[in-house]
Amino acid sequence: METFLQVLIDGILSGMVYALVAAGLCLIWGVMDVINFAHGEYLMVAMYVSYWLGFLVNVDPLVSTIAAGVFIFGLGALTYKLIIRFTIGKPGLVALLATFGLAVFLKNLCMNQFSPNFRILSDTWLGGKTFHIGGIILAVPQLMAAVLALVVVVLLYLLINNTRFGWAVQATAMDRDAAELVGINTERIYILVFGIGGACVGIAGGIMPSYLAVHPEVGSMFGLIAFVCVAMGGFGSIPGAFLSGILVGVVEALAGFYIAPVFKYVAVFGLYLAVVFLRPKGIFGW
Amino acid sequence: MSFRMSKGAFWATLAVFLVGVFCFGPGMGQTLAQEKVIKIGTLFPLTGPVATAGQRCQAAVQTAVEIINNKHPELKVPLADQEGILDGYKIVLVHADSQGKPDVGKAEAERLFNQEGVWALIGSYNSSVSKPASLVAERMKRIFMCGASSSAALTQRDMNFFFRLAPTDETESVEFVETLKWLNQKKKANIETIGLIYENSEFGKHAAGEAKKAASAAGLKVVADVPFSPGATNLNSEVQTLKNANPDAVLGALLGADYSLWIRTMKQMAWAPKIAISYCSGYQDPVIAKQLGPDADFFMGSTAYSPQFNVLMPAVGDVEKIFKTKTGGVPFDGDSIQEAVAMLVLAQAIQKAGVLDAEKVAETLHANTWDSPLSLGGKVAFAKGGQNSKAHSVVTQLQGGEYKRIFPEEMADTEIVFPIKPWNQR
Repeated sequence: METFLQVLIDGILSGMVYALVAAGLCLIWGVMDVINFAHGEYLMVAMYVSYWLGFLVNVDPLVSTIAAGVFIFGLGALTYKLIIRFTIGKPGLVALLATFGLAVFLKNLCMNQFSPNFRILSDTWLGGKTFHIGGIILAVPQLMAAVLALVVVVLLYLLINNTRFGWAVQATAMDRDAAELVGINTERIYILVFGIGGACVGIAGGIMPSYLAVHPEVGSMFGLIAFVCVAMGGFGSIPGAFLSGILVGVVEALAGFYIAPVFKYVAVFGLYLAVVFLRPKGIFGW
Repeated sequence: MSFRMSKGAFWATLAVFLVGVFCFGPGMGQTLAQEKVIKIGTLFPLTGPVATAGQRCQAAVQTAVEIINNKHPELKVPLADQEGILDGYKIVLVHADSQGKPDVGKAEAERLFNQEGVWALIGSYNSSVSKPASLVAERMKRIFMCGASSSAALTQRDMNFFFRLAPTDETESVEFVETLKWLNQKKKANIETIGLIYENSEFGKHAAGEAKKAASAAGLKVVADVPFSPGATNLNSEVQTLKNANPDAVLGALLGADYSLWIRTMKQMAWAPKIAISYCSGYQDPVIAKQLGPDADFFMGSTAYSPQFNVLMPAVGDVEKIFKTKTGGVPFDGDSIQEAVAMLVLAQAIQKAGVLDAEKVAETLHANTWDSPLSLGGKVAFAKGGQNSKAHSVVTQLQGGEYKRIFPEEMADTEIVFPIKPWNQR
């Protein structure tokens, strides 16, 4: 029982981080109908921001995660201004290919600037710390990442559902032309949505150097899992992406331990295929 | 005022320009030099999850080429006292990136031979890439020198043009089990069970297969068999599986970032086996060992070279100075040095064969024993199938960030710390 609880908790903690990564993608996808293939690379850039702040000026990832969020907010807004706005109104494949190009560009830029070396931050505030509840071990870095994920996703949900800005975002997502007719500056909404979507993944990436090595390839798998979470949760549904993230984390952990470690991603993508087959709009899709 | 050029003047100018380009342009040197150039292709993972290792392997080949092409009388290495080989031939390298992927590696090998016209290939670090890429070379009757790939299957194919320098995972598995037996005898270690953790690739699966064979022959019981997908976002289930089985010893085949994630996850789960020994992997990467700091200590692995081995291999020091200029100060490791040896031995064989004929050079490689001051045993000789029968490595343990020689006992320079110190006592 103790082992089961340990595996389950590990899965929930990983899943909450997946959920935060997926929430940003979900927002962009839901509002703008743009598949951002560079989402995993945003995460990687955020990890580098946090790493360099830690390495050069000794800022802990727990603090630099805010700077990483702000940086990726700017990167997201810039991506919209320089790339995405030219693809709006064109076939979906155009934006998809454009963001794919951006992903390749970012990965190779980091490879060129920082080399493919794996970089690890040692002596972080949370690094290596654990606490024990009965026989269950909770890793403090992962726990903090999960708490941060929960806070950010709740704030994002409140922002979208309980503020005038959020209603404007929803209106733009439903009908851009009608939103403009009632005076919403949809161009501004798009920039902010891309920025906020980036900030979510930026915050997730910012705290990760507490426990994960940074290298140019690190974002690829997280990006892929974020797509699975968004598609499973339902396009545009933040609660859907959040719950799917946790579900993915739990399935990955349980399958990895009780079936075989090498089977964990098979189970995750198998579940994704099953959901998409039985309910193509996702669990919370409409 | 308008300027018009007559047709005749135009053609004359064009002719002069073209003649100038062909005769005095940058291509000229190349054209003439082509007569005295041997193109060698390098195929390493320059991008992807193990790019750090791949880039160091490439730098090692470049170091060897610098020694072969130029006079370096201060170096105690074959061919260092002359310029070039075969009376003035210089080696020119053509680099390719396999990304660590077998399909990309195979396509790049074909491109290097067919389009770049390379005479031989050196590579490919990943066993999974060396396997298909060397088949391309064999089909074209061209030499493939393999420095670091360790899958024993590579030299069990009876190929004529494939030569591998590193010890195989078969030899390493036997060496690891011998280490465990030695510990049981000398230290009353009471090691009876083994856990395996390995990446689900040609390298990892083959290493695990050899480990199982060696363990079974020694009467050790394998209680956990944990393959994992390289580049995973976490290794929680993998380490939890090991922790649950709680083997006395763990043998690991994890590359690059996966190795550091494994160590950190074990620390997070407050568990470590009594002893952990790694195949050619992240363990030997001096950068990872440095970044992991004290967390990397007391883990063990096979090592063909580390700067602490200079007392056994005095010739390496000066060569390493050249290598460091290409890697920003990072020294040789057990893998990259094998690639430098591969280039040097190939050049010696070409020199001895006296002719640029791949079949003759391959025969020469098989027929002779080569001086190799950059190898632990000091010699290189190839058995049928291309395995270096003189390949050696030592089982080392990281202590205070340094690779200390532990086994075989006659090569040891330090006492083993056994069992691994618990995480909360470091």
